[in-house]
Amino acid sequence: MMNKKSFLQMEAPANYVAGLGRGATGFTTRSDIGPAREGPSEEAIKAVLAKRAQALGQDAPSSFSKDKKEDEDDNDTERYQDPENEVGLFAGGTYDEDDDEADRIYAAVDAKMDKRRKIQREAREIAERDEYERKNPKIQQQFADLKRGLETVSDEDWASLPEVGDLTGRNRRAKQNQIKRFYAVPDSVLAGARDQGAMDTTVQEDNADGTMTNFASIGAAQKKVFGSRLDQVAASSNDSAGGSTNVDPKGYLTSLNNSVIQSITEQEVGDIKRVRSLLDSVVKTNPKHAPGWIAAARVEEYGNRIVQARVIIAKGCEHCPTSEDVWLEAIRLNESQNAKIIVATAVKNLPKSIRLWIEAARLESDTRAKKRVIRKGLDVIPQSVQLWKEAVNLEDDPNDAKILLARAVELIPMSVELWLALARLESYSNAQAVLNKARKAVPSSHEIWLAAARLQEQEGKGDAIVSQVMKRAIKQLSDISAMLKREEWIAEAEKCEEEGAILTCQAIIRETLGWELDEDDDRKKTWMEDAQNSIGRGKYETARAIYAYALRVFYNKKSIWRAAADLEKNHGTKEALWALLEKATESCPTSEVLWMMLAKEKWQSKDVDGARRVLGLAFKQNPNNEDIWLAAVKLEAENKQFDAARSLLKTARNEAGTARVWIKSVAYERQLGDIDAALELVNEGLEKYPKVDKLWMMKGQIYQGENKLPQAREAYASGTKACPLSVPLWILASRLEEAAGVVIKARSIMDRARLAVPKNPQLWCESVRVERRAGNLQQAKTLMANALQQCPSSGLLWTEQIMHLEGRSQRKSRMVEAIRKAESDPVLIVTIARNFWAERKLDKAAAWFEKAIVADADQGDTWAWYWKYLLEHGTEVKRADVLSKLSVTEPRHGEIWQAIAKAPQNATKTPEEILYMVVEKLE
Amino acid sequence: MGSILIPHLKTGWHVDQAIMSEEERLVVIRFGKDGDQDCMKMDETLFKVAERVKNYAVIYVCDIEQVPDFNTMYELYDNVTVMFFFRNKHMMCDFGTGNNNKLNWVLEDKQELIDIIETIYRGAKKGRGLVISPKDYSTRHRY
Repeated sequence: MMNKKSFLQMEAPANYVAGLGRGATGFTTRSDIGPAREGPSEEAIKAVLAKRAQALGQDAPSSFSKDKKEDEDDNDTERYQDPENEVGLFAGGTYDEDDDEADRIYAAVDAKMDKRRKIQREAREIAERDEYERKNPKIQQQFADLKRGLETVSDEDWASLPEVGDLTGRNRRAKQNQIKRFYAVPDSVLAGARDQGAMDTTVQEDNADGTMTNFASIGAAQKKVFGSRLDQVAASSNDSAGGSTNVDPKGYLTSLNNSVIQSITEQEVGDIKRVRSLLDSVVKTNPKHAPGWIAAARVEEYGNRIVQARVIIAKGCEHCPTSEDVWLEAIRLNESQNAKIIVATAVKNLPKSIRLWIEAARLESDTRAKKRVIRKGLDVIPQSVQLWKEAVNLEDDPNDAKILLARAVELIPMSVELWLALARLESYSNAQAVLNKARKAVPSSHEIWLAAARLQEQEGKGDAIVSQVMKRAIKQLSDISAMLKREEWIAEAEKCEEEGAILTCQAIIRETLGWELDEDDDRKKTWMEDAQNSIGRGKYETARAIYAYALRVFYNKKSIWRAAADLEKNHGTKEALWALLEKATESCPTSEVLWMMLAKEKWQSKDVDGARRVLGLAFKQNPNNEDIWLAAVKLEAENKQFDAARSLLKTARNEAGTARVWIKSVAYERQLGDIDAALELVNEGLEKYPKVDKLWMMKGQIYQGENKLPQAREAYASGTKACPLSVPLWILASRLEEAAGVVIKARSIMDRARLAVPKNPQLWCESVRVERRAGNLQQAKTLMANALQQCPSSGLLWTEQIMHLEGRSQRKSRMVEAIRKAESDPVLIVTIARNFWAERKLDKAAAWFEKAIVADADQGDTWAWYWKYLLEHGTEVKRADVLSKLSVTEPRHGEIWQAIAKAPQNATKTPEEILYMVVEKLE
Repeated sequence: MGSILIPHLKTGWHVDQAIMSEEERLVVIRFGKDGDQDCMKMDETLFKVAERVKNYAVIYVCDIEQVPDFNTMYELYDNVTVMFFFRNKHMMCDFGTGNNNKLNWVLEDKQELIDIIETIYRGAKKGRGLVISPKDYSTRHRY
């Protein structure tokens, strides 16, 4: 099998050393058990030799060991030998007795030769070596003398030996590059250089006593100051918007200055020491600066060191005797007794200061003393309205007050306030005279005219006089071009209404509403807006007056009539509303809305005959109007006059046979439970109007109610054929199949419906629900994904997904997504509110319910959910509020709401009753 | 059975001769004790592949109790050790075991052994001293 080599049969040589013959080398992989690196070890070789010698009966071979000895003497030869050929020419040969003998003879010859002429040879060799060394001295010998000198070098000298420089040219370029390299100077160095020559003037008293600066408190204080400043700015801007109209730039600036410093004292709670030192320096550097003194005093006051505060403010009074603020601050800080003394000094220094005089009067506890002070003040400043008013206020007796005012108006004829005050105090006739005088003195004041008008009204002079006064007022004011703007007049009218002067209010509106407006139809819009604004502010009389005026100008405008009627309906009496509506129907007899409103109002206040009469009149004016017909039918039906209603419907069908009349007729019959008649009517109606989906739906529903499924199915089928775009019809058809348990059919109907009406969220939702109700949740989810792609902004679909197809944990993220896609969809908002409710975040839930109602008040479902929520968590007041709102809005839409409200047996129910039923039906 | 049929190397001289006498083929020598179970398994595998690799490798076995000369030199402490030589040069192979000098576990897959021998032969012909085993035996050997 294997070509055998000849050596396998041969014997091994006697003294063969394994591995030696082929120069084998070993290896070390594991040092723990590791062997020699070299081939056969020395011991192994010796052992073999000894063994062989023993076998031959001789001494151990000497030559080999001698060789070894020589190797040890000069192993250089061994070391530099060629490793491939380390044992010479006969390395591969065997070493036997002959060889050994030959070696020994050679060795003996060598020894012999060595012994001969040994002395001469050795002498010659020494001489040769010396000669050679002299010619080629070793470096070591050259420096031998210097080396000996190193003995004296100490350790320090060694340490201080200079470093040897790089004298070679090799690294020169790299070094030069290194020198040329530039680095960016850090900002800290620049900042340090900038500050080098500067003098640091910051006072760091915190560090002076060795404590660390509290940066947190400084930050907090700064934040507070900033906040308070913002507040003040806001407050001051409010003030200027509300009150004073003229801005004194000088005074404004000083007041700003004051406010800043005051704010420091009030707000810097954290570092009072700091503020104190700051204000100290302010006062020292600028002692004539009054606000500085005030601020310093206030800081002390804030630190509850009232005595210190008084001392400071007294110094302030010395330094700034002309600043009334400093004096006032001093008065405020002192007890009343001291304050009186201070105020006396103050008044001496500043006799013209009204505030000081008033303060002085205030300090007096006795009325007589007060009067005396004020009179003194008036002696000095007779032109001060404020002082006069103070004086008048102090008088108990109206007669004295009158005398004072009379004097006052003599001195200050331009003060409207004083004139008005005087007029108010006088009797009617005198007041007229006073007002006349006042008018002459201040002809441009509309207040005086208004006061005159109101005076007339108070005296019961009636509308005519009041409006006459207003007319004159307008004429005069426009003559001297002191006429107010229209909006301002409306504001005045509202003010009058607020104070109960209705006639004056009306008169103002009557005279001024058309002021400065072009004689065109834009006026209507403006006036409607004005009225809306007034209603918004709760000023119904003004709004009524505006409408009245507008209606006088635009007698035939339905919209104004309706707006006025709304106002009366919401905020007025029933009689006023009737009167207004009657007038409205007279002016716009062709507006059936107004007629219907009137009829409804009459009917709601149980005046059925009145309502009938109104409807009769309406018929006369608008023959063949279906709305009025239907209203009449409804009236009769509600009042249980079934025959009358039926005959009315019949006439209506004959005279105004619109589709709606037909629908109503069928609905009426269904409502009465007369199924056969209803069916007959439906068929008749469908002959005339085959394209009306509602009739088809009714037909189907009638059959369904009778439990005649095949007929119902047929009705829906032909209905969907006739009106393929009617969504409710499709859904009804599908539900019929589903109710019969044929989900496959329902599914196919929905598929067809979606083909006919693409991108309709209701159809998609119904499809999803068909699957969900059939238990195919997976299918429902797939459909939903599709649906949301088609109609991404449908709250209905999102609701379905969130409430039914999504785990509770994912609802939140879904809702976030939904609200982004369909922002103001009421259905979605209700869903979110319900989720909040489920998570017991009641406040949020309520807020979202409210939001949903605002978004679309016509959604009945929203109301129902809100009501359900309120039943659990609402207060009685809130519930009542919601109910009243509900009956006003009368919602008509919403999935469940519609289904319940439209059911024939619920036709006569009020919204409230429907609400209760819907709440029960909610899932 | 394999131990009997594969040529035995009775002395160190035979081992050296076996290694030096081959000029063109790889010399594969199994060191171990002939009676050992691992050795027997290995010999079985070696015997089975011997014919198939005969064109480029020759296989011998050597009992380390009979021939203790190489025990220290080649660290022959394992039950079975397979070593490779080519033209009097010890061939190393990276098996992934951490010991590149020898194959010191029982290899029972014939094809794997053939692959190893062939790989080492190809490397040796190109003058390499170390080749990388076609398969990493680190995990297999450990578990």
